[in-house]
Amino acid sequence: MTAKLLVSNTSPLTTVQDLGRSGMLRHGISASGPMDSQAFAAAAAALGGAGPAGIEFTTSGLDIEVVAGGCRFALAGGQFTASLNDVAIAWPDVGDLQQGDRLHIGPGPVGNYGYLRFDKGIHLPLVMGSQATNLRAGIGGFAGRALAAGDILGLIEPEQLDPGQQAVAAASAGPIRVLWGLHADAFPPEVHSRFLQKEFVITSRMDRMGVRLDDPEGVFRASSGLSLVSDAVVAGDIQILGDGTPIVLMRDHQPTGGYPRIATVIGSDLDRLAQMRPGTHVRFESVSLVHAHRLSTLRSASR
Amino acid sequence: MFAADGSDPAAKPLVLPLGESALLVRFGSTLSQAANTAALRFARILELRPIAGVVEVVPNLVSVLLRYEPQRIGFHHLAGEIGLLLTAAVDDVGAEARNHIVKVAFGGEAGPDLPDVAERLGLSAGAFVAAHNASRLRVLATGFAPGFVYCGFHPERLHVPRRAEVRPRVAAGSVLFAAGQTAIAATDIPTGWHVIGHTQLRNFDALRDPPTLLQAGDTIEFEATT
Repeated sequence: MTAKLLVSNTSPLTTVQDLGRSGMLRHGISASGPMDSQAFAAAAAALGGAGPAGIEFTTSGLDIEVVAGGCRFALAGGQFTASLNDVAIAWPDVGDLQQGDRLHIGPGPVGNYGYLRFDKGIHLPLVMGSQATNLRAGIGGFAGRALAAGDILGLIEPEQLDPGQQAVAAASAGPIRVLWGLHADAFPPEVHSRFLQKEFVITSRMDRMGVRLDDPEGVFRASSGLSLVSDAVVAGDIQILGDGTPIVLMRDHQPTGGYPRIATVIGSDLDRLAQMRPGTHVRFESVSLVHAHRLSTLRSASR
Repeated sequence: MFAADGSDPAAKPLVLPLGESALLVRFGSTLSQAANTAALRFARILELRPIAGVVEVVPNLVSVLLRYEPQRIGFHHLAGEIGLLLTAAVDDVGAEARNHIVKVAFGGEAGPDLPDVAERLGLSAGAFVAAHNASRLRVLATGFAPGFVYCGFHPERLHVPRRAEVRPRVAAGSVLFAAGQTAIAATDIPTGWHVIGHTQLRNFDALRDPPTLLQAGDTIEFEATT
C-alpha cells in the first residue's frame, strides 16, 4: 500500500469508476464508467497517466484526508472549488498529497460530476473485469455502493497506467446532437420536427441511470404507450415513458427496455449532457451517422 | 434501414443503427418463436464467424446487438458483412443448449399471484402448476436486469396479460408469469408480471465466472418443490 486515504465527507452518489465494464451485456450488466468520460480522461492526461480507477463525485464535493503515504492527484470535470489544507487551489489542477494533507472539494458554478484521480491504483477488487461501481446492480467499486464518510481507500502501484486524453475544446453550448433512435419511425413526422424545434429542461430527477427531462411544450404529450418487444439499450438512448416523459439513459442504464426510443445522444455530447444542471434548457439536433463517426474519430485521434 | 434478404421466409431481418457504435439485427417487431430462434441462431453464427471490429454480440428476444468500433469498421461495411452472413449457408451452428431443472416453490407468500392466475385460466392452483411445468421451455433472452431470463413459450391456453399494477420490488428468485412466458428474477426488481413462486436459483453472481448460469437457447424444466 503506497497511501491510505480517508473519505471524511462526501456528496451523494460518489463512486469509484474506471473505463467501465464493457462486454457484459449478455449477463444483463451495462458498462458503467464515468458520466463525463472526457473529464475523466483529462484528469489522467494531466497526471501523465493515472491508475485505472478514480473517484467520481457529485455537486457538493468531497473531502479526503491522507492517513498514510502520499501520491500525486488530479482534479477535473465541471467547475468546482477546491483547497489543500485550507489554501485554495485551481480547477482543474494537479498536485501532491502527503500524509496529513486535507483535500477539500466544494460546490462550484458548473457541472454535476467531478473527478479525483491519482498516479496510483485504488486497491479494490476487479468485479467482472472492472472496478467501476454499478449502483443499479450493486457491484464493483467500494463493495458495490457509493462512497460514504469513514471509508478508507488504499492506493497501490498500478499494474498499468491509463494515459487518458487531454480535453479537446468541446462545444460548451449549442444543441445536443442525436441520431434518430430505434423506434423513431413509431413517432409521427410532426413529433420529429417538434422534437428538434422545442426546448426541453433538465430536471433534478437524474442519476447515473438516467436523466429525466421536462417537456414544457408537450412534444410527447400525445404519445400513447406503444407496446414494444423489449430490446437492447445503449447509453444516450432517449426513451419516452407512457405518460410522455422523456428520459435520457445514462451509464448505469438497464440492459434492455420496452419503451420507445426516439433518438440516441451521440457519444461526443453525452458527457456534456451529463454535466447539465437541473433547470438547464436543452435543444436537440439530428446528425448523420457519418458525422457522428467523424466526431468520435476526432475525439480518439490523439489517444 | 437496410433490409437484408434472409433465407428464412418468416423473418425479414432489419439492420438498425443504435447510436454510433452499435446496431441491431432485428428479426421481427413482435415476439415470436420464429424471430427468437432466428436471433439466437444469428448470434451463434457471429460467434463462429466473428467480424473484425465487432467487440460484443448479444442476443435479445427478437434481435442481436452488435457493438462495434467505428474506427475499425464503418456502419455500411458492417451492414454488408451482416447481409452476407444472413444469407450464408451455415449448416450446423452447433449451439450447445444445456438443460436446467429449476425447482420452484409455487404459491404461498412468495407466489401471491398464483391463485389469481389459475382462476383466470379456469384451473385449480394444482392444475395450473402441473400445466405450467408440463412443457420444457427455452431461455429466450437475458435482459431487463442482471441475470433476468425470459423463458418461453407456454401453449396459448396458458397465456395471461401482465398485471395492471407494477410491484415496486420483488425478491431475487421470484418466478414470474405473463404473456406466455415464465421469467426468473436474479436480483430484486420492480415488475408488472404475476409472481407465482420462488426459486433458490440465483442466475446472477458477479463473483462467479461466468456470472450467469442460464444462457439464451438453453432449455428449462420447472419442478415444484413440496
